[in-house]
Amino acid sequence: MSKKKQEMSQVYLGTSNEFVFGELGGKGKHLSSFLKNLSLTSTSRKSKNLGEDVNSSIYGNMQYGRVLGEELGNGSGGVGGGGSDELLSSPGSPKLRPKLVGRSISMGTSFAFSGSHGDDSTSINLGGGSSGSSQSGVGNNGGPYKHSNLSSSSHLKSHRTHSNTFYKDLDADWDADLNDVRNKKLTSVKQKDNNNNDPSNKSRNSLSLVDSFHPEIGMVSSLPSLPKRKDEKISSASKKQSLDHEDHRAQLEVAKQNQLNSKYSKFYKILKPGNTIDINELRKLSWNGIPQDLRALIWQLLLGYLPTNKLRQSSTLTRKRQEYNEGLRVLTIDFDDVKTTSNTSSSSLINNKDRQIYHQINIDVKRTNPSIKLYGDPQVQKSLRKILYLWAIRHPASGYVQGINDLVTPFFHIFLHNYIWQVQKKAEAMNNPLKESDYEGLFIPGILDENDEIEAQFLKDPQLIHTTLNSLDTSKISPRAWSVIEADTYWSLTRLLETITDNYIHEQPGILRLVGELRDLISKIDLELSKHFEHEGIEYIQFAFRWMNCLLMRELSLDLVVRMWDTYLSETPLGFSHFHIYVCAAFLIKFSGDLKERDFQEILLFLQKPPTASWKEKDIEMMLSEAFIWQSLYKDASAHLRS
Amino acid sequence: MSFPNPVTSVKLVLLGEAAVGKSSLVLRFVSNEFQENKEPTIGAAFLTQKLTIGDRAIKYEIWDTAGQERFASLAPMYYRNAQAALVVYDVTKPASFVKARQWVKELREQASKDITIALVGNKYDLVEDDNEEDLVRKVNVEEGQNLADEEGLLFFETSAKTGYNVKDVFVAIGNKIPEATASGSDTATNQTSGEGRIDLSGGGNFNNATSGCC
Ligand SMILES: Nc1nc2c(ncn2[C@@H]2O[C@H](COP(=O)(O)OP(=O)(O)OP(=O)(O)O)[C@@H](O)[C@H]2O)c(=O)[nH]1
Ligand SMILES: [Mg+2]
Repeated sequence: MSKKKQEMSQVYLGTSNEFVFGELGGKGKHLSSFLKNLSLTSTSRKSKNLGEDVNSSIYGNMQYGRVLGEELGNGSGGVGGGGSDELLSSPGSPKLRPKLVGRSISMGTSFAFSGSHGDDSTSINLGGGSSGSSQSGVGNNGGPYKHSNLSSSSHLKSHRTHSNTFYKDLDADWDADLNDVRNKKLTSVKQKDNNNNDPSNKSRNSLSLVDSFHPEIGMVSSLPSLPKRKDEKISSASKKQSLDHEDHRAQLEVAKQNQLNSKYSKFYKILKPGNTIDINELRKLSWNGIPQDLRALIWQLLLGYLPTNKLRQSSTLTRKRQEYNEGLRVLTIDFDDVKTTSNTSSSSLINNKDRQIYHQINIDVKRTNPSIKLYGDPQVQKSLRKILYLWAIRHPASGYVQGINDLVTPFFHIFLHNYIWQVQKKAEAMNNPLKESDYEGLFIPGILDENDEIEAQFLKDPQLIHTTLNSLDTSKISPRAWSVIEADTYWSLTRLLETITDNYIHEQPGILRLVGELRDLISKIDLELSKHFEHEGIEYIQFAFRWMNCLLMRELSLDLVVRMWDTYLSETPLGFSHFHIYVCAAFLIKFSGDLKERDFQEILLFLQKPPTASWKEKDIEMMLSEAFIWQSLYKDASAHLRS
Repeated sequence: MSFPNPVTSVKLVLLGEAAVGKSSLVLRFVSNEFQENKEPTIGAAFLTQKLTIGDRAIKYEIWDTAGQERFASLAPMYYRNAQAALVVYDVTKPASFVKARQWVKELREQASKDITIALVGNKYDLVEDDNEEDLVRKVNVEEGQNLADEEGLLFFETSAKTGYNVKDVFVAIGNKIPEATASGSDTATNQTSGEGRIDLSGGGNFNNATSGCC
């Protein structure tokens, strides 16, 4: 053994026990002791074993397939764990969450999660039948878990209550949708004898309300298993009719629109009548996803930025937007300056802290969402620089931290989209003065301004109707409108970051804590994976640091992140710290089977680029549902362990 | 193994101010690519690359760290067991050279005594066409060379964009890693199954405290 080798292994085996922060990072603080404290207060060796019991007994009593089979009227009876994949991604999945949880607790049959991941290798294997405790029921655990289970099941109960009211509604709608599909189908078959119009066009025209929004967005994600169900219904209704391809597509189209339609109307019922919006109802509904065009409005409500009292909305926003502009006015930064590197001498860079913050923001904004064209636009980059810089100097404890540049983009994206949408809708209304508008009362106050001359031009622009975020010519938007979009983004970002301040202050204790919590959680949910990581020497901080710092935005496409935030924003408290841990757990466990086959290096390489490129909304929704379940099961349990 | 000789592993860490081009250098080395607007690194990124130098096969196990000050407290866990470090600055940005100096100092104080350090002045392509009046270059070659001489570092000016000198840095580091030492360390880590692991808390207390040994 060479000298060098000895040294290396010595270091590795622990002669150097302390983690000393770099001179700039901290004044002699020791990360290892910090982390040790963390782990002492959470999982210990002893409690880990208890954790296994909890896993097996709780999960031993879950039975997704049966529950869902009933819910969806699938009728196929003995749908076991294996069939749950299809069921979980079926049209029922948005409402799956509360029901599944509410019912599953009292089910006596065992269930293996595996099917839901579409791959047996990713099986969570939570002891379906293997523990022998499957009959014992939740209340039968000994020790501290008795308490924790009780509290988690009472926690579940409250969700069940609302699921039974609200989600039953959805069920009823779903039936209505099906009937509608069937009727539409019959009409379109009849009409087909008389003319050759494309049936899908016809059905689209017949739904003017949906037409006025964007039918392509919203619930599309839950469509894949539609045809099957329809086939069943229809063939039982009229056995002789066989469907040709076009009819099939027409049905799909109609079903899609009906579904969207009913989704919109649910939101209207909350948003439109009265002077005060029922925020709790809105949360319940939004948890399962928000239609694109209502998203900006609803996000602002959920964030508490836009008051639920409609009478106060306009004045509040006016004030906030003014505050933003005044905040910018006192700054001495030239936001058009994008060459901070070569224009500034080294001494001023080093001495002037604010200058340095601006420089960092400037270089990061250029590197934000590089794959999306919009974010290469100079105006967009300038807006982001303003928002980020103002936030940074107003929050000196954290200042600007890389990753916050990612977190600002969903808000900016959605609010910019909202502006274009409102202009489009207004233009539409101007062209059809007699038609009553469907979206009245769904505009965020103060976004449009009659006195804005550039906006007046935009309203008349023939290209307006085709404008999307990808094709947007940003020079068509007035400085006034930009500043409104920026202000709303700024305050929304502020609200979000308030909930995770610890993540970005000195030494980032919030992130270290969350990473520790994730590690503990995985050891409860997926002991095998946990052991494998341990065996390979994987440290969670090596891959999960970024998951916390950027809220999985680097792992998922912006569209999917936006969907995820519908749910995060509907959680109370906001889901960006605690609920996020459960989402991270669900995310990691999706790849559990893959990861268990890999060694240290392969694991890290895999987790740096997890294969999410083909992910759809339904994958996100599945993940959110799992996160919800785990939060319900473990939130109180871990609180108990800590005390 | 596809290599006739035992593969020598080199644990390598990249340090340097934000946006000097650490990730771009690694990307050039590992995939021979360049991206104009690469996302800032958060925490650290792990990459590997194999290279044959003469009759030696070397596997680089690379931790590319994040440059922003806020993340600096994470750096020790990545450099502590590193056998080599690339300290990168941007030749158009003097502040980044100041920061490079600090990194060298910290490595000398905190990292393994035999660590091989290469000082790398990146973005050479930007200063190639410099003329007398309007200098884009803000850090002279001599400044870099002097620091390297004082501290006994390898020294290169590179361009991740054009690829200029990039491979040379890694080859020079590979040549500095003695064969016996390097393969020895490989075996050492294999005892605990897995290469390239970085010990975070030192001594693995972090692991043991939480879940015991399996
Ligand atoms: N012209 C030129 N640009 C470069 C070169 N290397 C990197 N860049 C650019 O500099 C910017 C930052 O590069 P990165 O590789 O992300 O820098 P980094 O050091 O990894 O930054 P952090 O991850 O934030 O610490 C990107 O826009 C790169 O395209 C180079 O050799 N020449
Ligand atoms: Mg980088």
